[in-house]
Amino acid sequence: MGYFLDRLSYFTKKRTAFAGGHGMLVTDSRQWEDGYRGRWRFDKIARSTHGVNCTGGCSWRIYVKNGLVAFETQYTDYPCTRPDLPNHEPRGCQRGASYSWYLYSPHRIKHPMVRGRLLALYRAERESGLDPVAAWAAIQQDPDKRRRYTAVRGLGGFVRATWDEVTEMIAAANVYTIQTHGPDRIIGFSPIPAMSMISYAAGSRYLSLIGGVPLSFYDWYCDLPPSSPQTWGEQTDVPEAADWYNATYIIVAGTNLPMTRTPDAHFYAEVRYKGAKVVAVAPDYAEYVKFADLWMPARAGTDAALFMAMNHVVLSEYYIARKEAYFQEYAREFTDLPMQVLLRALPDGCYAGGRFLRAADLVASLGQTHNAEWKTVVYDTRAQAFACPNGSIGFRWGEDGKWNLRPEDAADGGRAIEAELSCAGHETVMVKVRFPHFATGESDTLERQVPARRIRLADGREALVSSVFDLLAAQYGVARDADAGRRAALYDDATCAYTPAWQERITGVARADVLRVAREFADNAARTRGKSMVIVGAGTNHWYHNDMNYRSIISLLELCGCVGQSGGGWAHYVGQEKLRPQAGWAPVAFALDWARPARQMAGTSFFYQHTDQWRYEKVDADSLLAATAEGRYRGHSLADYAVVAERLGWLPSAPHFNENPLTVCARAQGAGAGSEAAVAAHVAAELKSGALRFASEDPDDPANWPRNLFVWRANLIGTSAKGHEYFLKHLLGAQNGVLGRDSEGRGHREITWRDEAPIAKLDLMVDINFRLNSTGAYADIILPTATWYEKNDLNTTDMHPFIHPLSEAVEPGWESRSDWQIFKAIACAFSELGARHLGVRADLLAIPLMHDSPSELGQPLAVRDWKRGECEPVPGKTMPQLRVVERDYGAIYQKYIALGPLLVKEGNGTKGLSWDTREAYEALGDTNHKVTLKGVAQGLPSLENDIGACEAILALAPETNGEIAFRAWRALEQKTGLALTHLASARRDDKIRFRDIQAQPRKIITSPTWSGIESEHVSYAASYTNIHERIPFRTLTGRAQFYQDHEWMRDFGEAFCAYRPPLDMKAADSMPAALKDRPHLMLNWLTPHSKWGIHSTYNDNLRMLNLFRGGPTIWISEDDARSIGLADNDWVEAVNANGATVARAVVSQRIPRGAALMYHAQEKTVNVPGSPTTTKRGGILNSVTRVIVKPTHMIGGYAHLAWGFNYYGPVGSQRDEVVLVRRLDDTEIDWRERPLDDAREAALDPPRRFALGEEGP
Amino acid sequence: MNVNLLLFGVYPYIAGTVFLVGSLMRYDREQYTWTSYSTQLLGSRRSLTWGSNLWHVGVLFIFLGHFVGLLTPAFQWLHVPPVAHQWIAASAGVTFGLLALIGGLMLLARRLSNSHVRAASHPTDLFILLWLLATLGLGLATQVVTVPNLLAGHVADMEILSRYLKGIVALQPHPELLAHIPWIYRLHLLFGMTLFLVFPFTRLVHIWTVPVNYLWRAYQLVRTRPGIGE
Repeated sequence: MGYFLDRLSYFTKKRTAFAGGHGMLVTDSRQWEDGYRGRWRFDKIARSTHGVNCTGGCSWRIYVKNGLVAFETQYTDYPCTRPDLPNHEPRGCQRGASYSWYLYSPHRIKHPMVRGRLLALYRAERESGLDPVAAWAAIQQDPDKRRRYTAVRGLGGFVRATWDEVTEMIAAANVYTIQTHGPDRIIGFSPIPAMSMISYAAGSRYLSLIGGVPLSFYDWYCDLPPSSPQTWGEQTDVPEAADWYNATYIIVAGTNLPMTRTPDAHFYAEVRYKGAKVVAVAPDYAEYVKFADLWMPARAGTDAALFMAMNHVVLSEYYIARKEAYFQEYAREFTDLPMQVLLRALPDGCYAGGRFLRAADLVASLGQTHNAEWKTVVYDTRAQAFACPNGSIGFRWGEDGKWNLRPEDAADGGRAIEAELSCAGHETVMVKVRFPHFATGESDTLERQVPARRIRLADGREALVSSVFDLLAAQYGVARDADAGRRAALYDDATCAYTPAWQERITGVARADVLRVAREFADNAARTRGKSMVIVGAGTNHWYHNDMNYRSIISLLELCGCVGQSGGGWAHYVGQEKLRPQAGWAPVAFALDWARPARQMAGTSFFYQHTDQWRYEKVDADSLLAATAEGRYRGHSLADYAVVAERLGWLPSAPHFNENPLTVCARAQGAGAGSEAAVAAHVAAELKSGALRFASEDPDDPANWPRNLFVWRANLIGTSAKGHEYFLKHLLGAQNGVLGRDSEGRGHREITWRDEAPIAKLDLMVDINFRLNSTGAYADIILPTATWYEKNDLNTTDMHPFIHPLSEAVEPGWESRSDWQIFKAIACAFSELGARHLGVRADLLAIPLMHDSPSELGQPLAVRDWKRGECEPVPGKTMPQLRVVERDYGAIYQKYIALGPLLVKEGNGTKGLSWDTREAYEALGDTNHKVTLKGVAQGLPSLENDIGACEAILALAPETNGEIAFRAWRALEQKTGLALTHLASARRDDKIRFRDIQAQPRKIITSPTWSGIESEHVSYAASYTNIHERIPFRTLTGRAQFYQDHEWMRDFGEAFCAYRPPLDMKAADSMPAALKDRPHLMLNWLTPHSKWGIHSTYNDNLRMLNLFRGGPTIWISEDDARSIGLADNDWVEAVNANGATVARAVVSQRIPRGAALMYHAQEKTVNVPGSPTTTKRGGILNSVTRVIVKPTHMIGGYAHLAWGFNYYGPVGSQRDEVVLVRRLDDTEIDWRERPLDDAREAALDPPRRFALGEEGP
Repeated sequence: MNVNLLLFGVYPYIAGTVFLVGSLMRYDREQYTWTSYSTQLLGSRRSLTWGSNLWHVGVLFIFLGHFVGLLTPAFQWLHVPPVAHQWIAASAGVTFGLLALIGGLMLLARRLSNSHVRAASHPTDLFILLWLLATLGLGLATQVVTVPNLLAGHVADMEILSRYLKGIVALQPHPELLAHIPWIYRLHLLFGMTLFLVFPFTRLVHIWTVPVNYLWRAYQLVRTRPGIGE
């Protein structure tokens, strides 16, 4: 009955009173309740997650109603934790809960789209009868035709095309590029495989098969902490969030847990109820500060000063005043503190720290016959002699059974030793040592007294050696011989670097607080065996000298024995880097099942070179050198250092050379080079003679330009483009706001300078996305991809130990396809053209001396540069490995859809281990079906569909296949001589399949890929197996390293951690008078993550925009705002040499003076007006940043300092920028919404009147 | 058909039918739209409190006055002479009409000036408020004719109007009665009848379901599930 009729029940209504008439039982219609029941009635619920770099990795129910995704809610069926540990769930946040909006939003890319002018050109060429490749060539070889479409990038004008047509265009462009320029000119950018592994692998597999170049991203994002590989040889390994609950003392520095780690923040709250003390270090009153017992408001970028002052206190009180037994034992066995360092004489009679003493330096190499130059030395107090302990990197390669951390002498039959921390008081001399010092306004070295031993080396020379500990204590200025009272008095000496009083001036934090926190932190660690934790993040890590910030913190943790202990250690959460089934994923992702090695490139040095940001470099590399530097590369620019690093084989170099690698290889083979080694020798000779040059020596030569760029799962041109405007200007040739002069970086030693800067290096940019963002706007082709609720994929995170699926709740909308299917289609179109135009070719790869491979043992004692004639160019030793890979360009599709035979022939492995995968491989053939297509792939396990690809990863990875885990541990057992299979034997029969994780997130299996264990007794904690199983850290010494003895590290003053103030980027130095004469602020530019759009949904989501201001904002302190008459919600412009950005001001008392905070990832496509200064679209957070590289990050071929993809390498920092911020009147706001005319199209650059260094109007 | 018949003989029944059938349909089909669309949460509490109370008190009494005075023989039963009846009606009407007018204008000002309320307004919210105010204004304007007539002792127009309305309600329409009535009354009538026409499409539907039973119902109501507890 109807609602109304149901109410006509007066006579039939029964009413029963109860509670004395206060209550009434009625029989009214309850039909209205159906509305609520209908709300919770669905076609189906699927389990998926958000394939983004938010680290959440949360399990979500996706509700499908009437065939459409209606909304999502949190799943709450995670496996339980153990007693006395809160569960992980509910996981998810407001951002994830808003995601479903995108599926049917106006931003959705629904069809393949092509820049209209390009499509018209292409169709015209095709209609004139040209073959696709010839058609593409005709466009590229005519500069006018090319400019017609490159000059309007970013200005709209997309039209629809069919899948067949776009895949043909892309394939034609790729084939043309391979033919004309080389496969290493085809670039791909996609970040964070862990967020959707199959989607990442789709593009990287295609690129790897054709010889293209996936770029690294973790370093480019500056989420990679170089301090981690520097200290532990480990990319990043951190405790899961649940381990916070095991801590009893926590310092949080520069990571806004409740805001950006929302699903995990409950552990942060819960552990306080358990009694843990929480200290927050933050320049602003951030959300996480509210949880803290103590707030240390250190000025932005000064964390190192703060933590080094704490280290001073810990050294003084726990190592000198009294010797805390736990710390001593930990330091001796698991850190490099007892390692001996040669002292290097300086001209003034003082000394500086030199390199580590090696076994090879001593008589008879201390009994070491193998890799003795790579084995470090301690002083054994039992034998009163120097000894070579197990575990240093020399034991890792070419020798089995001694690469472990047992405190044993490697030579003397495994005799137990006790490494001496300090030689003070034993047969020593005191010498003056200078330590590099960088604090503003202070002396450039610290002169300190250090106890040392005088020894005679194998070559007869006399030398002074001291332990790392003795040097460290001296650097910190800890008074060794003084009484406790005098040491305490030193705390108040502001003239002595690294004391609590000294840091007060730099950080603004009260010395009493530093003293108290240092004591509490250490005391807690001593009582609990290391349950003190520091949680850190981008706020600390995104600085140019981020490694100094982090190493200061890591030093505190190492001194207190916290690393590797449950509830303790270094918890760095920046980016979802934890690709748990990595070892199973890598062969699929980089097509290592078909050819090895794969071509890869370091993102930061690539973008520094190819967006021509180096041309604007104002920072002089010499100004970064330490006063004690040998400085054999003095006078080199930062870009020059990158060239040196590439030719020494330290950094990768794609594009490799100034010629097509196919041509180079063919020439070598034509000259009679039959084997790979002969080709390598031929190429090395050509390089030495100068006949062949590295592309990076002349990045502006059109022969060296990258030509095709694929971007998928990324916002490369938008939020990820540090130096956004330079990308627009040089890489894309689009309208840009670059204000600085491009001749700043003119002075170079290694690079050819060209007066004419290149415009529009890229022939083709393809963006694959489900939404039109700041990247797609600049692409030539946009392909519609499946959303996170429309595809099958895998997802893992460092925040919890579970592996998650993404599931296809509904079929991909409109014409979209999953990334796996998109690249499959491109591969298919490519194969057809490739067979016709390319055939079978030999490709030459220049591969750096890779981390975790024998080639990481490059040059042990000093840097020798073949180009300078200091040594011979030896591929794989003093220069890159030169490898030959055969490419059948007609079989790309077949190889894409099948798991290749190399997995059986050569096995699989990771991190220097390898194991047999035959059984897993054969089982996959049965479960995935076998390819029936005739050709190389016939009969091989199929990867045709997405789930098949997921199954392949799960079957090959030790984390998801117990048998593989067991074998991996057995491989490591052999290497280390330790018993390790017990870590996985309980789960040896476990096999996690895709349908399993769709049923419930599954906890992974303990694997040697990672340093923590999955157990019913402890939470995942990084370095756990290093400490508890005595597996060495993958560093030179095998221990956690305080000391970095590489020549460049010493040159740049970073052998030890030192406080280095934020770098002066000089971008706001010469602002035009037109800007400077009006009220303005000069502010430090901070770009943290926000509450309304980290990654799980973006800042263009209507729901998020509704929650806060509806468009881009910049936060400014109340006092600063008042000083220039700025009111909340006024328009502001931020300008510097890099460009300008326009946004609304958020005026808040939360922000400290001197800082402008623009939250990351605000899109250029939403409510961004023009900038009055550049007259171009107002820009984004990166319009005022420019990337700058750090030479110490380029070191390679040196044990832990060796390049690995996303593992070590230059990072793209962006926190040191200063901007001019001024208020804009509403009348100055121009939305720039008018038709494109010729004048506007021609004016790519901002008008000269505002260009820097010249006067304004 | 002449216009008078169309406007005052046919139109009232169209408006009345739409009013009743429309309300019924909306109640049955669009339960989730059956609301007063209160903007109380969105701010300007002071002007809302005063405006809303003045408005509702004024309008309720005017409705009561129209109903009792024009449709019931209450005054005849009480032996109130027609002139006195009209004086009472006019004075009460003006009094409450002014209260409602003040309240209504306050609500209008709030709806236009408070950006949150404006953003939350459906176009019909503004329309119905303006229409009500126009009808109210016309009603007050009729006094320009009524009061001089009263001073002269004439109540004929009012009695004709009363007879006309009773005829409409009794399904015996006499539109010809209005042929010589001053236009201001007719205009007020047309606006008033149109209110009924648009009623089901606006927030006015809340009038049907004013929860007056809260005044006497039990504190706690517990519903049975069909088949249980009966």
